[in-house]
Amino acid sequence: MEWNEENGLLLIPLGLGCLAVWWLMPSAKQRPRILGGLAALAAILMMQLMLLPPAGDYVRNVLFFLFAAAAVISAGLMITDRNPVYSALWFALVTLAVCGLFLLNSAPFLSASTIIVYAGAIIVTFLFVIMLAQQSGTATSYDQQPIQPAMATIGAFILLGALLFTLQEWGHIDGKSTNQHAEPGQFIALPEGIQPNPLSQAPQDNPHEIGSLRVLGRSLFGDYLFAVEIAGTVLLIATIGAIAIAPRRSQGTL
Amino acid sequence: MTATALESQLIVGATLFILGVIGFLTRRNLILIMLSAELMLHGVSINLTAFSRYHGNPQGQVFTIFVLTIAACEAGLALSLILSLYQRRKSLDIFLWGKLGEDDLPVFSGSPAPPITVTVDPNVDLPHLTPAGRMPKTQPGPQTKT
Repeated sequence: MEWNEENGLLLIPLGLGCLAVWWLMPSAKQRPRILGGLAALAAILMMQLMLLPPAGDYVRNVLFFLFAAAAVISAGLMITDRNPVYSALWFALVTLAVCGLFLLNSAPFLSASTIIVYAGAIIVTFLFVIMLAQQSGTATSYDQQPIQPAMATIGAFILLGALLFTLQEWGHIDGKSTNQHAEPGQFIALPEGIQPNPLSQAPQDNPHEIGSLRVLGRSLFGDYLFAVEIAGTVLLIATIGAIAIAPRRSQGTL
Repeated sequence: MTATALESQLIVGATLFILGVIGFLTRRNLILIMLSAELMLHGVSINLTAFSRYHGNPQGQVFTIFVLTIAACEAGLALSLILSLYQRRKSLDIFLWGKLGEDDLPVFSGSPAPPITVTVDPNVDLPHLTPAGRMPKTQPGPQTKT
């Protein structure tokens, strides 16, 4: 009973979100999408009330909720849209919203590179393949018949509930938490005895400058030089593999 | 200092990850499955940058750069794989690849695959392997199926 009073409030938006995603899934018979949309909106609003920060920078909070809501709504529309082309475009919107969140986390370089890599390269090539493969333009039958939507939705939302309950146990998402103090046992406590490289720390006078090219480059090519070399090798191998796997023109083009 | 609470960002990241999981499990389009995997990577990236901001060091952002690198590799490889799969069956439906065995072999276990609607002679240029579990014929002669 005690547990119910403390944590039961989370169950309502979780259940609503689960219902909304299941309702919006494409199926053989048309369901009115407005009902699912309303349920999803109610779930997001309830979650938002739960996350409301106590005080602080007003503009930053508004921007955070704007980007977060855009990301979550676009993601929901992406996985439930019938047309794969629209799904890819919704994914582009998710990418833009996530880049906004990166900016709020003082990562401007990361935001710009994510936009370039995802919106500029990945989504364009995916769209290219979709349009190559489905030239008729109409939604195909397999896009309208998801695999076991109820089971997948319920299972995934149980996982989300487990994550949120764990967060609530440790991080106290009750609107009263502040970021200032890390209590012992909380997941945000700094590890003991591990000193970071002083070269890759943000300057003391401006601690928000962690995403600048100077700090990021020092960390990338100082602390993680070996990993950078490995990543470059992985990129090269992936390029060779993609060229080797891709169908030849002699075997007949698409 | 940091007005946006860390927990809020973790919740947004978890929600994006879960939506990606749902898309990965339910969609039947090969390309949408890959896009859902990228959505999961986005959720993880939000977590990493939020912790980076919270601790005030750039290591989370460095990890996000590595995630970006691996995502680019994955997208390239996945696209070439999807293209060669599409060339064989002329469809992006993942159900057509539910059974990877050859059609003339007996099915030993498992539920029967859903009926394949597209009949474009799928085994035209697939390599024909020796069936596993039985000794190959050493004497030349007519092949008998069991």
